[in-house]
Amino acid sequence: MKGIWSRETVALVLIAAMMPVVVTWLLANGPAVLPRLVFVLVLAGLWHLAFMLARAQPPSFAGALSAIAIALLMPPQIGLIALLISVSFGVVVAELIFGGWGRNILNPATVALAFVSFGFPTEIWPVPDPQIGWAAIPAALIGMGFGVISARLIGGALIGAGLAALIGWPLAGAYATAAAIVLVLLVADPVASAATRLGRWLTGGLFALLMAGFATHWTGGNPVQVAVSAALLTALAAPLMDEIALMIWRMGRRKRLVP
Amino acid sequence: MLFRNGLILPFGGPSDAVPDQVSAITAEAALGPGFPPDFRVDLLVQQGETVAQGQPVLRDRRAPDLCVTAPMGGRVARIDTGPGRALNHILFFHDPGADRHHYDTGGDVAALMLTSGLWTGFRARPFGGFPAPGARPAAICVMAHDTRPGALPAAAMIGEGDDFARGLTALAGLTEGPLLLVQPPGPALADAPRLRVVPAGPLHPQGLAGTHIHALHPARMDAPVWDIAAQDVAALGHLIRTGYLPETRVVAVGGPAASGQRIARCQPGADLHGLAQPVLRPGPSAILSGSALDGVESRFLFLRDRQVTVMPRPAPPAPPHWFRAALMRMSRPAPLIPTVALEQALAPSLPAIPFLRSLSAGDDEAARGFGVLSLLEEDLMLADYVSGAEPPLAAVLRGMLDRIATEGGAA
Repeated sequence: MKGIWSRETVALVLIAAMMPVVVTWLLANGPAVLPRLVFVLVLAGLWHLAFMLARAQPPSFAGALSAIAIALLMPPQIGLIALLISVSFGVVVAELIFGGWGRNILNPATVALAFVSFGFPTEIWPVPDPQIGWAAIPAALIGMGFGVISARLIGGALIGAGLAALIGWPLAGAYATAAAIVLVLLVADPVASAATRLGRWLTGGLFALLMAGFATHWTGGNPVQVAVSAALLTALAAPLMDEIALMIWRMGRRKRLVP
Repeated sequence: MLFRNGLILPFGGPSDAVPDQVSAITAEAALGPGFPPDFRVDLLVQQGETVAQGQPVLRDRRAPDLCVTAPMGGRVARIDTGPGRALNHILFFHDPGADRHHYDTGGDVAALMLTSGLWTGFRARPFGGFPAPGARPAAICVMAHDTRPGALPAAAMIGEGDDFARGLTALAGLTEGPLLLVQPPGPALADAPRLRVVPAGPLHPQGLAGTHIHALHPARMDAPVWDIAAQDVAALGHLIRTGYLPETRVVAVGGPAASGQRIARCQPGADLHGLAQPVLRPGPSAILSGSALDGVESRFLFLRDRQVTVMPRPAPPAPPHWFRAALMRMSRPAPLIPTVALEQALAPSLPAIPFLRSLSAGDDEAARGFGVLSLLEEDLMLADYVSGAEPPLAAVLRGMLDRIATEGGAA
């Protein structure tokens, strides 16, 4: 007897959870974005195929998940070569060389987008339509309902946004939209985010605080670029948050159990 | 209870059958299934000899004080031992007219449990297996609660009368530490010195000993914790009161491929076909000793099991394409994706995902920090079921425990 929560099930459920965002995005932008989506999907698929043949790594539907996030958040006017390089960098360096999804430490889409942000600074980032931000809410609810997106992480982000508003860093308008999309698509990746309960609260809160701080103090920043930078820093800090959570767990356990 | 861990499983809850009043002693029974691996024995009886119920039939070669007794009165039909006299099994044929072996119950409780074979009801943590005679546990965990699908309800485990309370009081003499009694919520089932009642909810894995030992009294190398089923405690009480081992144990019979549920009274090591026969449906099925989660297909009831599950026997799956099979083999151990289901499948006191990562990475040091010494295979069966992990996490845990035991010089 076997349960169903293997890697591919989780990837498929995550793709299903992202569907509200994807459909809203396609409706908002029309068929013009389809070639880019197909290009990124095919490119990610080719890299998965290459690693299957060269390294015997089974391809994963998680590749499609990254491709969707990249196509949705990538600067729309980016050149073909730049797109090719950045997608390849994200998919290969952040995911496949670690052994595929489940063994990676950073989300490949986050890395690809951050690569564009650093490597092609003149690109003009998209300004997400507000309805895509709203669509992130059902996406998060579906993910939380199936248990593939951590409710603690989302809750931590909401608390963090509330705290930021209290200290005068409000998160509103396009910044809130970008934050919602990036939170669901990139930060909530179950593999690359924190894995302990407290660590998830902290990670969500850190993302919201970084996002709000950047929105307030980063002059000349674009909402999506700011959100991707916050997501990258959050993902890099996630192991630290886990370590803090485990340290607190160990201290509590020692105090409670050792006579 | 609402925020405690656990999963609702598709096999249903605990058994709600009415316990049989008459005992159902099967014609054959065996000792051996469910014993620790490489359990080397000195035989006290010959093949063909007639034995009384409860009479010692073998002793542990490594710990000669530890005896194992005949599950029923009858004839020793076959003795099967492997290299180094490791016990495979001893088969008995039932004789209704056979005697019962009487024990003098005046002496020490530990000595009585060793000679009467009740010591085999104990399981030591860390590492599992029977505890060494003469050892003193830091705590004893009595399980009067079982959340595996189709398991016995607590009332059927402890039985009628005050045998359970008497056994519990006797057990308290074996340890200076606490006596943890895990039971369903409600009034305490019994009272004893240093007893700590631990109410536990209805969702698996809240009815596993490892869940509570990990949270309340973690086992260490120098402070082992033993667990024992409530039925064995009641059997000890019965032995102290009458001088005889109880003839039967209560076993829940059911499962997805059974036509109904049944709570039977049978001897230890009973023949599972005989037990499951009244609820068998026509068609291919597999009879497991244990639950749907951790059961093993077997002819006879395992030593520690109080449950028989009839599972449908699916047609053997078509072998996967050679390329896919090779890919899957290459990518082992399959990565574990953190999901809520996986977290709920482990004890709530355990940081589930970091622990499982340390386990599959083979990081003994980190896993010991998480309390791996309090866990045994059965504690990871639900996580295995949920995630379909390859290789099974329970097997990985066994490998890690064996490694720690060897390196720690405690093997």
